[in-house]
Amino acid sequence: MSTEIGHGSFLRRIAINVGAGYVPGINAVITGAAMAAGKMGWEMVGIRDGFEGLLQPEKYPEGGLVTLSPQLIENLDPSAGGVLGQSVRVDPFNVRTINKDDMVEEVDMSDHLLKRLKEEKIDGLISVVGGQGLSILYKLHRKGLNAVCIPRSIDNDIASTSVSFGFNTALTFTIEMLDRARQAAQSARKIAVVEVQGEQAGWVALQAGIAACADAIMIPEIPVDLKNVAGRLKDKMSPRRPYGLVVVAQGAKFINQAKKKEATSSLKASLSPLATGDSSSGHVIQSSGQAAQTVATELQLLIAEETYPLVIGPWVRGGTPSAVDRQLGMAYGAGALQALKAGKNGVMVAFVPPEIRFVPLAEAINKVRTVSAESEFLKIAYSLGIYCGI
Amino acid sequence: MTGTVLNIQRYCSHDGPGIRTTVFLKGCSLRCKWCGNPESIRMKPELSYDFKKCTGKKACGICLKSPFPEGAFYVVEGDDDKVKVNWHLAMDCDETLTSLCPAGALEMFGKKMTVTEVLDEVEKDASFYRNTGGGMTLSGGEIMLQPDFSAALLKEAHNRGLNTAIETACNAPWSFLEKVLPHVDTMLHDHKLTIPERHKKWTGVDNKRILENFKKAYETFPDIDFIARTPLIPGVNADEEHIRAVLAFIRPHKNVIDYELLPYHRFGLGKYEYLGKVYELDDYKTPSDELVQHLQAIIDEAFGRTK
Repeated sequence: MSTEIGHGSFLRRIAINVGAGYVPGINAVITGAAMAAGKMGWEMVGIRDGFEGLLQPEKYPEGGLVTLSPQLIENLDPSAGGVLGQSVRVDPFNVRTINKDDMVEEVDMSDHLLKRLKEEKIDGLISVVGGQGLSILYKLHRKGLNAVCIPRSIDNDIASTSVSFGFNTALTFTIEMLDRARQAAQSARKIAVVEVQGEQAGWVALQAGIAACADAIMIPEIPVDLKNVAGRLKDKMSPRRPYGLVVVAQGAKFINQAKKKEATSSLKASLSPLATGDSSSGHVIQSSGQAAQTVATELQLLIAEETYPLVIGPWVRGGTPSAVDRQLGMAYGAGALQALKAGKNGVMVAFVPPEIRFVPLAEAINKVRTVSAESEFLKIAYSLGIYCGI
Repeated sequence: MTGTVLNIQRYCSHDGPGIRTTVFLKGCSLRCKWCGNPESIRMKPELSYDFKKCTGKKACGICLKSPFPEGAFYVVEGDDDKVKVNWHLAMDCDETLTSLCPAGALEMFGKKMTVTEVLDEVEKDASFYRNTGGGMTLSGGEIMLQPDFSAALLKEAHNRGLNTAIETACNAPWSFLEKVLPHVDTMLHDHKLTIPERHKKWTGVDNKRILENFKKAYETFPDIDFIARTPLIPGVNADEEHIRAVLAFIRPHKNVIDYELLPYHRFGLGKYEYLGKVYELDDYKTPSDELVQHLQAIIDEAFGRTK
C-alpha cells in the first residue's frame, strides 16, 4: 500500500526476511536495506524467522514483525548474528502444521501469506535466500508478490552473481583452518585430508586449497581417480617433506572407486518399493565427513604414508563476517532498495564487478555457479603444481 | 469407495502371521525423522524422478517443454545431459504429465484404487495365505488417515475369508480407530518414544493421545492380537529405559502377545532422492548386534521366554 508524499514519491512499507540457515553478514544486509529505505523515506520492517512472524504471529508476544527503525539499526552490530532469526523451513507452499485432528500435515499457505502481507500494508519483500529460496520466491512472485532476492551462499554456487555474501567469510575461515591442518600434518609427518564446504561447486576447496598450498584439491566438478592423487603425493613427499595436505570438497566425486555395500540387517518389517539403501544421492545430505573419511582411508591403502581425516563442516556457518562480506552485505541490502525504487520486481540483486545488477528470478533459478574447466583459479592451481584431477 | 494406495507388495513375511500381501496406503500423521518410507508421507499422489532412467536432453528433453510447468525441469550447462528437477516448481505435476516421459524416469507415487481392485489383487495369493496362516496387511504411512477406506478393505478381506493385520502408530482420533479395529485380527503398533516432549521432537507430536488409543484398543478389542514394536534408533530410543517403560505399559494386557524390535536401517535413503526430499538423520548408525541382543533379552525375560 503506497501513500503519495508529494513530488511523485510514495511512502512505502517494505519487509525483509531471511531464509533457512545462518550465513555471516546477515545483519549487514539488514542494516544496508534499512538505511537505504530510511534515506528514501520508506518504512522498513523485518519478518521474524523466515515467514513465521507473519504466518504464526501468535508465537511472538512481542510481535512477528520488527520495525527496523533508525534507532534499532544504529545499534545493530553488523558483526553479530541475524537480528530477525531464521526458520528451519521457509516454504509457504509447504508449511508443516498440526491439523484439527492433531495430525501432522503440510499445507499450502501461500495465499494466506499474501493476504497477511496486504493486511500489514507491506507492498514489497526483500528476501535473503539461497538457491532453494530463489525458486520459492519466484513462485510467490508469479502469484503477485513484489519480491527482490539477495543471494547468500557459503559455497558461492548461485549463478548470475560473482559473489554471494557469506562466501568470503567461509573462505577466510577455511584458509585459516587449512594452515593449521598443514602445520599439524607437518609435525605429525602424516597426510591431512580436510573436508571443506562445497556440495555442488568447488569454489571454497579450490580457492582455499590454493591459498594454503595444498598438494591436491578435489572438487565436485572434476571426478578424480584416487590412484592418481596417491601418485602425486608419492612424488611430492620425501624425507625432507614428510607430510601432505589434501583438500576435499564435501561433494567431491571419485572414479574407479569400489562401491561399498551396506550391511543388511535382520529386518522385521517389509520395505516399501525402491528401498535400496543407495545413499549416493544429490538430495540426501551426505554424512558430514564422509568424503574426508573415504579419501583418507583409500589413500592410506595406496601409499606407505599415514593419513587422517578432518572436517571443517558447519564451523564455517558461524562467526564474524569478513570485511568483504560486511561491505557486500551492506551493498546487497542497499541494492535491493534501488531495485524496488526503480520498479524492478521479481529480481535477484547480483554483483557483477563493478556493477550491481538486477537479474530476473526466472533467469537466476535452475542454475549452479560451478568451476568451469577454463577457470582462472584452476589454471593457477595447475601452475602451482597442485593436483586437481587433471 | 476409493483410497490412495502407494503399493501392493506380495510375499511379505514380516507384517503379521504367515505369508502376506501388504497394501501400503499413502498419507502419514507423524513426521519421524528416521522415516524409511518418505514416499508414503504425503496424502496425495506425488512426483518421483529416477535420474538413472533419464535419457537426457539430446535424446529426449520432452519435459523441458510445454505442457510441463515452466522451470520445473532443467539441465545444468557443463554437467551431464540428464534432466534435473526443481521440486518447488514441479510439485504439482500429475499422472497426465508423467505419463509423457518415454523413459519412465518420471512417475507418480500413489494412485487411487477401489476396494474391489485392491482385494482382487490381494486375493491372487489366497492359496499361500491358506497354507501359511497369512493374509492381508494394511501398512503406510498411517492407515488411520483413510479410516473409511481402511475399514472397507479389512471388512471385504474378512468377507473373502482372509486374515487381516494392520500396522499403525495410532496417532488419530479414537473415532477413526473405532471404524477400523472391528475388522482386524492382528495389530502391529509402534511405541516410538516414551517421554512426550521427546516423542514430539522426533515425530512431530507428543504421545499422549497415542498411548490413550493403545490402552483403549487393548481394552475394547480383547480378541485382537496386539504386537508392540519399537524402531530402534541409537541416540534416540535404543536404551533400556524406553524398552522397560514399554514393557510396563503393555505387559498388564494379555492380548499384547509380543514386543518386537526393529533395528534402524538406512535402506530408505535412496527414496529421498527420488522425491527431492532431504534426509535429516545424516549421521545415524544402525544399532550394534550386541545392543539389539541385550534389549531383546530384556523383552524375552518379560515375556517369560528366558532360556
